[in-house]
Amino acid sequence: MRILVCIKQVWEPESLFDLQGTELRPRPPLRRKVGSYDELALEEALRLKDRLPRTNLTVLSVGPPPVVDVLRRALGMGADRAVHILAPDQPPPRPATLAAWIAAWAQGQNFDLILTGVMSEDAMQGAVGPMLAAHLGWPPVTSVVSLKVDGHALAVEREMEGGRRQRLALPLPALLTVQSGPNQPRYPTLSNLLRAKKTTPLTVDAAGLAAPPDREKVVALTPPEKRRAGLVLEGSAAQKAERLLAMLRERALL
Amino acid sequence: MSAGAKSRVVVVAEHSQGRLSPVNWELMACAGQMARVLGLEVAAAVLGQGVEPLAGEIAQRTGVKVWAVEVEGMAAFHGEAQRLALAQLLPAWRAQAVVGAHSTSGLDWAPGLAARLEAAYLPGVEGLSAGPEGPRFSRTAHYGKVREELAPTAWPLVLTVQPGTFPAAPPGEAGHGEVEVVRLPAPPCRSQLLEVVDGAGTDAGLGRAKVVVAAGRGVGQAENLELLRRLAGLFSSAALAGSRPVCDLGWLGYGHQVGLTGATVSPSLYIACGISGARQHTVGMQGSGFIVAISNDPQAAIFNLADVCIVEDLTVLIPALLEQASGYSDPASLQGDLPGRPG
Ligand SMILES: Cc1cc2nc3c(=O)[nH]c(=O)nc-3n(C[C@H](O)[C@H](O)[C@H](O)COP(=O)(O)OP(=O)(O)OC[C@H]3O[C@@H](n4cnc5c(N)ncnc54)[C@H](O)[C@@H]3O)c2cc1C
Ligand SMILES: Nc1ncnc2c1ncn2[C@@H]1O[C@H](COP(=O)(O)O)[C@@H](O)[C@H]1O
Repeated sequence: MRILVCIKQVWEPESLFDLQGTELRPRPPLRRKVGSYDELALEEALRLKDRLPRTNLTVLSVGPPPVVDVLRRALGMGADRAVHILAPDQPPPRPATLAAWIAAWAQGQNFDLILTGVMSEDAMQGAVGPMLAAHLGWPPVTSVVSLKVDGHALAVEREMEGGRRQRLALPLPALLTVQSGPNQPRYPTLSNLLRAKKTTPLTVDAAGLAAPPDREKVVALTPPEKRRAGLVLEGSAAQKAERLLAMLRERALL
Repeated sequence: MSAGAKSRVVVVAEHSQGRLSPVNWELMACAGQMARVLGLEVAAAVLGQGVEPLAGEIAQRTGVKVWAVEVEGMAAFHGEAQRLALAQLLPAWRAQAVVGAHSTSGLDWAPGLAARLEAAYLPGVEGLSAGPEGPRFSRTAHYGKVREELAPTAWPLVLTVQPGTFPAAPPGEAGHGEVEVVRLPAPPCRSQLLEVVDGAGTDAGLGRAKVVVAAGRGVGQAENLELLRRLAGLFSSAALAGSRPVCDLGWLGYGHQVGLTGATVSPSLYIACGISGARQHTVGMQGSGFIVAISNDPQAAIFNLADVCIVEDLTVLIPALLEQASGYSDPASLQGDLPGRPG
């Protein structure tokens, strides 16, 4: 079985950001990581590989040169091969563009299964996976929390509002977007990391891949609006605690 | 912009188990604003089986035209069937824009539909305005730390509305819109929906509690939940809740999860501890009476909807709270079985 997992490199969620026109600038220290849903998608693929020995697992990331770090980490976790679609990070490519690039490369690679995260942790669009599936003509199933492969058939569970679940059956090839669940991603192993160090990901220049013109454009970035008073308590921890307790008592909440 | 006078913005209604979801009235509110900004006419569609009464309910409450699409074999929501059916029907409906919810269902059909229609895709829309060159749609990104404004540069548009951001169009008798029944043979789906099962979550008493103390990933380790339990113990009617990652990690059972795929609560007081404030979480708690947020990240999105913001390490702040409160609180409430132990 041939599996592809698409992973995105994101800034650590706790990074502080400055806005410069339509560009988001993280403040140092610059800390990057694999998007957490993408890491869970990779974990699902690795679990399939553990069970089905003749599985070949490719990880792919689109972005500027530093994305090689997340590809190395994925190799360290146990992926067999890494592909880097080299593309500028500004302006961030639209999801339709990312999907077209990935499809242009993946077409003809004979993948049986493609996994993405349910959403990228930063852009939160949930779009690249289903759009990639549309390019390939495969039915996407999103928000998948459990999957089983039996020959050429897939049995999946997808999660809905209020925790309700749908059970679906579908044939391979298929594209699934992975939602979080009780499985936690494994850590890279030392032997895999050493192997990863010596591996150079296959680099494909996005400039050579076809994509449709953008259909939407980011025209402004602004700080989010405050929807409540948002009184910020100042002082030491003890002073903040004292102030909070007083406010709760004033409102008869305590 | 090519939005002609008689073009439509079509709301695709959500429903399950024979009932319309409340989010539909928020979708209607967004579509109403789009209609004004873009000069479109609002219409709606409900897909499934036996959906005519649901279409009637929408037509009565909003006064707009509603298609009741009876899709053969679609007994419950099935993303692939919905996407294929819409792709087939929309051209005949003169749809310049299609509106769904940024929900687990909307995410299953909308992006693929946008790709298929070569439409602009606007995910998780929270507001819109008229810009100099056409409409602008706003959404949040980057962990809720940034508001992004998007301008479509192609038509039609497919957009998903972030639940809990547009005020629901109020119920009323707007006069009965037309209901048109369309019958569709089963679309050529490759996936097959087998069954829908209820979640494993148990009732954690979240709905009844006057105070909810909620744990996020920032709690750091399961042992620190004890601090939150003791904080909850200061109140006479309190329950312990968690964000999704806390439940995924098994620190709390899924019955404690608040948010889009968990419970919706509106206690008098909600204390968010180590929660960043992703929309999927806040949609489940933003109706709370008074919101206190504790996070060590001064830019955390949760602070944008809190009444009181405390930038602090919770393992420092909560002990300080407990220490200072012990002088005042009723000692009886600190004893016995504290709320919210995982089941
Ligand atoms: C389809 C879908 C449905 C979803 N449904 C839900 C849902 O129902 N409910 C839900 O909660 N999420 C849901 N999510 C996930 C959601 O998008 C967020 O990923 C999640 O809410 C983040 O949880 P968190 O705030 O606990 O963790 P994080 O985002 O990791 O935030 C942790 C916070 O704690 C702070 N922190 C860290 N250490 C400390 C410390 N020592 N002291 C104080 N603060 C600290 C950090 O600065 C940060 O602000 C859903 C996602 C998708 C895609
Ligand atoms: N730059 C990227 N490189 C590789 N995969 C990506 C990239 N951006 C998004 N994806 C994949 O698409 C999923 C959905 O992203 P999004 O549509 O941005 O929410 C992510 O979870 C990733 O699996």
